[in-house]
Amino acid sequence: MNAWLGILLFLALAVAFGLLLGYAAVRFKVEGDPVVEIIDQKLPQTQCGQCGYPGCKPYAEALAKGEADVNLCIPGGEPTMLEIAEILKKDPKPMAAEATEPKPPMVALIDENLCIGCVLCIKACPVDAILGATKMMHTVIAKECTGCELCIPVCPVDCISMVTEEVSSKNWKWPQPNSVTRIPVEVKAVES
Amino acid sequence: MSTKTMRMSQLSHQFLTKLSAIVPLAKHWLYKFHGGIFPDYHKDLALKQPLRQGYMPKKLILPLQQHMGEPATACVKVGENVLKYQVIAQAIEPRSVPLHAPTSGKVVAIAPQPLPHASGVAEMAIVIEPDGLDEALTNPLQQDQLPPNNKQDPIAAFKHTILNAGVVGMGGAGFPSYAKLPNQPGLVKHLIINGAECEPFITCDDMLMQTHPAEILAGAHALATAFQIPNIIFAIESNKPNAIKAVRHAIAGQASNSVVKVQLVEVATVYPMGGQKQLIQELLGLEIPHNKHAIDIGIVMMNVATLRAIHHAINLGLPSVSRFVTVSGHGLKEPFNIETMIGTPFDELAMLAKPASSINYSLIMGGPMMGVRLVNNHVPVIKTTNCILANPPEPIHQAMACIRCGECAEVCPVNLLPQQLYWHAKAQEFDKTQDYKLFDCIECGCCAYVCPSHIPLVQYYRNAKAEIREQHAQAALAEQAKQRHEARLARIEREKLEREAKLAAKKAAVKAQAAEATPKKDVTAEPATTKLSAREKAMQAAKARQAAAAASSKKADSAAVKSEPAAPSAEDKRKAAMAAAKARAAAKQAKQAQQSDKKSATESVSVEDKRKAAMAAAKARAAAKKAQQESSDA
Ligand code: SF4
Ligand code: SF4
Ligand code: SF4
Ligand code: SF4
Repeated sequence: MNAWLGILLFLALAVAFGLLLGYAAVRFKVEGDPVVEIIDQKLPQTQCGQCGYPGCKPYAEALAKGEADVNLCIPGGEPTMLEIAEILKKDPKPMAAEATEPKPPMVALIDENLCIGCVLCIKACPVDAILGATKMMHTVIAKECTGCELCIPVCPVDCISMVTEEVSSKNWKWPQPNSVTRIPVEVKAVES
Repeated sequence: MSTKTMRMSQLSHQFLTKLSAIVPLAKHWLYKFHGGIFPDYHKDLALKQPLRQGYMPKKLILPLQQHMGEPATACVKVGENVLKYQVIAQAIEPRSVPLHAPTSGKVVAIAPQPLPHASGVAEMAIVIEPDGLDEALTNPLQQDQLPPNNKQDPIAAFKHTILNAGVVGMGGAGFPSYAKLPNQPGLVKHLIINGAECEPFITCDDMLMQTHPAEILAGAHALATAFQIPNIIFAIESNKPNAIKAVRHAIAGQASNSVVKVQLVEVATVYPMGGQKQLIQELLGLEIPHNKHAIDIGIVMMNVATLRAIHHAINLGLPSVSRFVTVSGHGLKEPFNIETMIGTPFDELAMLAKPASSINYSLIMGGPMMGVRLVNNHVPVIKTTNCILANPPEPIHQAMACIRCGECAEVCPVNLLPQQLYWHAKAQEFDKTQDYKLFDCIECGCCAYVCPSHIPLVQYYRNAKAEIREQHAQAALAEQAKQRHEARLARIEREKLEREAKLAAKKAAVKAQAAEATPKKDVTAEPATTKLSAREKAMQAAKARQAAAAASSKKADSAAVKSEPAAPSAEDKRKAAMAAAKARAAAKQAKQAQQSDKKSATESVSVEDKRKAAMAAAKARAAAKKAQQESSDA
């Protein structure tokens, strides 16, 4: 008799916990792939497409699926590559030679005398940072520009150039007393 | 507190003061906060001389940014004559304060001038050449013309007036004073008048308390009346006996006609007693929680100079155009305190104090503990300048490795672990510095003062703080870019759907028409010609650029292609890159040809010409791009 009671009791418990877990699975369901979100957070969001994908999110998705290399994001450079490798538990890969140099942040500037109002740059800008209309002078909203350089090649009159931000008392940074140099990831020597 | 316990505490205090003369350790029992140091004060240097007044510099430099927050906007023109107290820059942005002409004269320039800031960068400033007449505007603040809804509300009127008068915290931070005050009465329980002035060398507040105690108290009373503050505490460090005497006298003189009685408290002489959190802890035994402000626990603290500026604004209707400045240091023969106009250059004031040798070293703005060495000595006194220090540079101690002695943690008034902060700041591990509460550090410099290895600890913290702030700003920008990109994608998607819907509707209409006319003939769907969008083209170009760079680095050439898992795609990329490179070269050639043509034709190229040339180049480029596209399509 007692044995039956025990079995019944545990059966009841199993059913109860099963229901609870089932409910939790529905109630606290994680939308989408969290890895994509985590990687996307680490990408610079320049949306420049230099990684070969039409934006940072698609690159993050490709990374999560294991289809892309970790070292493709040029603006993010080595720090981003290391972070991605860390998240995906993959080996770090050296960046292409030109990308290891950190570039100062830049924004696009339209020479307003030369602009012919062709709206081509507006179509190219991934973050809608260019303001203008057909046959009207265009201008870049410097605050919104990510410095992706996508607008540079499309301009038929080459009136867009990249400029660095000026140092002011607001963005000036105290230098480190004797700054440490970052240790670069080992670059594999390739025979020519 | 009963009189008996008060008497007891007074006695024990006296005993401890006597004891600390013999046993240095006993000094620490005289105050309530942790740590603190007892440096050489050198305060008598500048106090030997009487207060100077009335110096008229050749030029006044008035930076538009004298305070924390947004810069003011200039509202005068070059060549204009201005009167004393006239508004020369307005507060258009929120959290900004206006700027007034300190004397009458002519605006000779509105241009970037070097700032009294650690960076030494030049920013917009108005330069006034005084005419020496010192003609003043009558009723500069126009308090009788306040907006009507302000008249009933004393607090709004008060805040409006001190904003118009350009009053900012004159103790060092430069926070606009009106923004520090609440909007309702009764929220503030304590007004603390900060006369501690704990930094070595600096005596400008001391001098102000000795010479104008009544004005400070009048400012405090005006504030207390408007905000219905029940308690006023006047805190002065014990090493300023003359100031204490003067203030006690002034309080006795005012006691009969004032509502709130001012309580004078003599606090122990220890650095950094004048820090806001330290002084509050000392006077009230309260600690401000992390990420909160003094106002959140019902306390407003004002520097003595700020209160005098408030008195000038509220009771006399005068804007803030001058301040007390200490000019001191071992390199000067006659250090002094001066009441000088905002905009007076540092180097001129230093020359007034008879330098022992020519000042070929950089002056220090502020005290020796928290001040910064200037990049340029010809910078103006601004509303927050309390001291100009001419100390010839001492031999620099070579910083050595941290020996983990823990001295720094002993003296930190905020109870942080400076050696851990240093360790992580040096390694640029900013998350960890934040775990050790980097942002609670008040940059007082106690830790660096005692460090036996002479490590410039504070500069590491300042660097780490700046880096973290930039990281946050960049993260915010990235988030913004992401949102804008997503919004753009959504918009493109929506437009596409709309277009398709329109097309379908049209098709249906055509079909219906066709069905009416010739019911047998079927309409075939038109071929979907998907043209590449400008963005896609640009991206291809970007990719090609990258690939071209890869190809140009000869080393990676064959090996890289082989090691690449997707060899054909790399091959394609390379082809595309090659085509693109060729095309670009052609375009450049065309451009160069144009340019040389231009040069030979005319020296001065008009915009029209440039545009034409650019168009030609663009045509060449377009052709090149087509070639590239074809090659990449192939
Ligand atoms: S290269 Fe980097 S920044 Fe550019 S789109 Fe790809 S992931 Fe974003
Ligand atoms: S303006 Fe040009 S550089 Fe800036 S985000 Fe837009 S396309 Fe990129
Ligand atoms: S005082 Fe200097 S040496 Fe000693 S623990 Fe602190 S940082 Fe290290
Ligand atoms: S500078 Fe910062 S860490 Fe050093 S003693 Fe002062 S508050 Fe503490």
